[in-house]
Amino acid sequence: MNPTTLHTDAQTVTLAIIAVVLPFAAFVVNFLVLGKSKASGWVSTLAILGSAVLSLNVFFRVWDSHTIHMQQVWFTIGATKVQIGILLNNLSVLMLVLVSLIALPVHIYSTAYMKDDTGYSRYFRYLSFFCFSMLALVVVDSLITFYAFWELVGFSSYLLIGFWYDRDSAVQANKKAFIMNRIGDIGLLSAIIILFTQFGTFDIDLLFGEHGRVSQSVIFEGFWNAVPLHDYEKGTSLPAIWHYIAFGGILLAVAAKSAQFPLHTWLPDAMEGPTSVSALIHAATMVAAGVFLLGRVYPFFSPEELTILAAVGCFTAFMAATIALTQNDLKRILAYSTISQLGYMVMAMGVGAYSSSLFHLVTHAFFKCLLFLVAGIVIHQIKHIKEDNHLDIDPQDIRHMGGLRKKLPLTFIAAVIAGLALVGFPLTSGFLSKDGILIQAFEWSEGKNILLNIIPIMALLTSWLTAFYVARLIFKVFFGELSLLKTFPSLQIHIGDGHWAYKLPLVFLALCCLFPLFSFNPISYENSWLYHAFALKHEAASNYHLIIPVLVTVVSLLVIYRAYLLYAKREGRIIAETGLLYRISFNEWYIDRFYRRVIVKFVIWLSGAAYWFDRNVIDGFITLLERINLCIAKAAAWCDKYIVDGVLWLAAETVQYIGNFARRFHGGKVQYYLYSMLLAVIAVFIIKLIWA
Amino acid sequence: MIGLQHFMLVSAGLFCIGLFIIVSKKNAIQILIGIELMLNAANLNLVAFGRYDRINNGGQMFALFAIVLEAATTAVALAIILNVYRRYKTIDADKINQLKD
Repeated sequence: MNPTTLHTDAQTVTLAIIAVVLPFAAFVVNFLVLGKSKASGWVSTLAILGSAVLSLNVFFRVWDSHTIHMQQVWFTIGATKVQIGILLNNLSVLMLVLVSLIALPVHIYSTAYMKDDTGYSRYFRYLSFFCFSMLALVVVDSLITFYAFWELVGFSSYLLIGFWYDRDSAVQANKKAFIMNRIGDIGLLSAIIILFTQFGTFDIDLLFGEHGRVSQSVIFEGFWNAVPLHDYEKGTSLPAIWHYIAFGGILLAVAAKSAQFPLHTWLPDAMEGPTSVSALIHAATMVAAGVFLLGRVYPFFSPEELTILAAVGCFTAFMAATIALTQNDLKRILAYSTISQLGYMVMAMGVGAYSSSLFHLVTHAFFKCLLFLVAGIVIHQIKHIKEDNHLDIDPQDIRHMGGLRKKLPLTFIAAVIAGLALVGFPLTSGFLSKDGILIQAFEWSEGKNILLNIIPIMALLTSWLTAFYVARLIFKVFFGELSLLKTFPSLQIHIGDGHWAYKLPLVFLALCCLFPLFSFNPISYENSWLYHAFALKHEAASNYHLIIPVLVTVVSLLVIYRAYLLYAKREGRIIAETGLLYRISFNEWYIDRFYRRVIVKFVIWLSGAAYWFDRNVIDGFITLLERINLCIAKAAAWCDKYIVDGVLWLAAETVQYIGNFARRFHGGKVQYYLYSMLLAVIAVFIIKLIWA
Repeated sequence: MIGLQHFMLVSAGLFCIGLFIIVSKKNAIQILIGIELMLNAANLNLVAFGRYDRINNGGQMFALFAIVLEAATTAVALAIILNVYRRYKTIDADKINQLKD
């Protein structure tokens, strides 16, 4: 490497570090200097704007050129040097740009959205802190720092879910999210420990990079062998089971952070936070951290493990899509849709569509963020109606909505664009990434087991289900007549798209949902620059490239038409609300209920039992000891008081008595002397008389 | 007839009266009077027993000698009492108790 590239690399790393630290600086300034001032919103927004500009700069320097890795020793334990540093490769700069570019419109939107909230400055403090953690998470180069920021991201998510901490449901939700994420954290930590035991390093580049130590390790005859770090060392070898345990840990971490089955139930509840937070954290960025982790450690997985990933992702995608069909809470539908799309990404990782998975991560971040911002506006406006007319309704319930198309035209257009992207319509970004995943899933399953063939079919089914619930959402919210008008005919309605701070992010994100940003060819995902950068090999074109997009689009169109009839025109029969399928879907597959009934109850029972044990057995034992001690002490006290003290007392009393008796003879009075003398003489005489 | 025995009884009575005065009275002068009574009881005994020494009259002589001494000691005692009064402004025997130290 020549000195000039070294110099520019150092410059790039410095820029990346500044981009990461800027939100943290905003957090500190907001925290220490600004207090409750309204300026905090603009400080945070400026910081994230700076981050976005710097990230773009870093992105264009690094993208598709070379990996920059700079580190220095952080601390040394024994012979192990733990390094701290920055790793900039395609994946990290992509995430860097994505996070800051999504965070920027959300910040702008939030300045308007949270304007009247009493916790305005607290909100921006948390938000800046989150941005810092997330940006740091994507650029760090060591598993230790990765883990630290992984935790910080979870923690800031916890803070933001419970932002309205005076609501009981928000507190419950953030507790749930935190506990579920802790379960995943345990998995990640155990995986890191196992990896360190096997390879002796935390360095991500060294472990998972090209020709990294992970890709050189092999599982052979029940043992997991690693090549030595230095030539003079012996390679380590662990039983293969540890490889699977580490995989399990990573899977757990991904499931918790990216809300995959069975740890997905925290995400719908996390919608208790402000909608702008849901847009940034629980739709676009933080939940993608699990997929990002998969991308980081991708060389680690063996083919069987990838199949498990695919199965988990596919099942999650399908399950979440079926649940989203029947939910009535606007944000909950979007939350399940997020889970479903994250399932797609995990499945794509599993089927080897690494690049498509990351592609979908990026496109999904834009359109899902946009959908949440739209939902935020809609909920805000319904809340206005509610407050203006003193109604007692849930402003998030889509059954109260309808006909908002005319009132909120820009919001409506944004929602349609985002919705079409989510469905995967041609000309949108979602079409490119989603079809990429589906095509590769079908190619992967070719010639495989029948059971594995279910995976792409379920994924295809899921994409039609997606079309249905998106259509249902948009028709129910924006088409027809406002349902509230039927129950309350005399409503006062003054609503609109609102402030430019609402409109600007919508326009920006809506443009990012369209195809030109990603590929100049609107129907071929393989022409996308994003896909190219990650594609490992160029697959031969198969029939699926034609069949899948057509199938998806045509059936989706039919499904949307059906939904249009059902929800916009109110024709046709909606599936009975008492049907088994409806109930399973509406009750979210009873998973949460199962957790509450079985696991939570068991844990509560267990802690009750532990409490009882502590109370009665341990405390009882201690009380017994205490009683015994008390008895011994009482006996000792009695002994001391009556026997030891008694002897002394007796001696003292005797002496005192004798002294008192004798004292009288020496009272200083002459007459007493004489008197006693007389008595003595008389006594002598008496004694003499008696003896005689 | 008045015999030795009667003298002895009077003497013993005098002695006891003197002793009682010494022990019970508070006033130093009274105590001094008690002492005189006791001395006189002793003198009475000496004189009474003097009948057995008619040649030398030892008893009488000794009694005379004792009376002289008595006068002398009384003078000294009165002087002491006077001094005590000067010092303590009292002649109450109970209050003059500094002998104990």
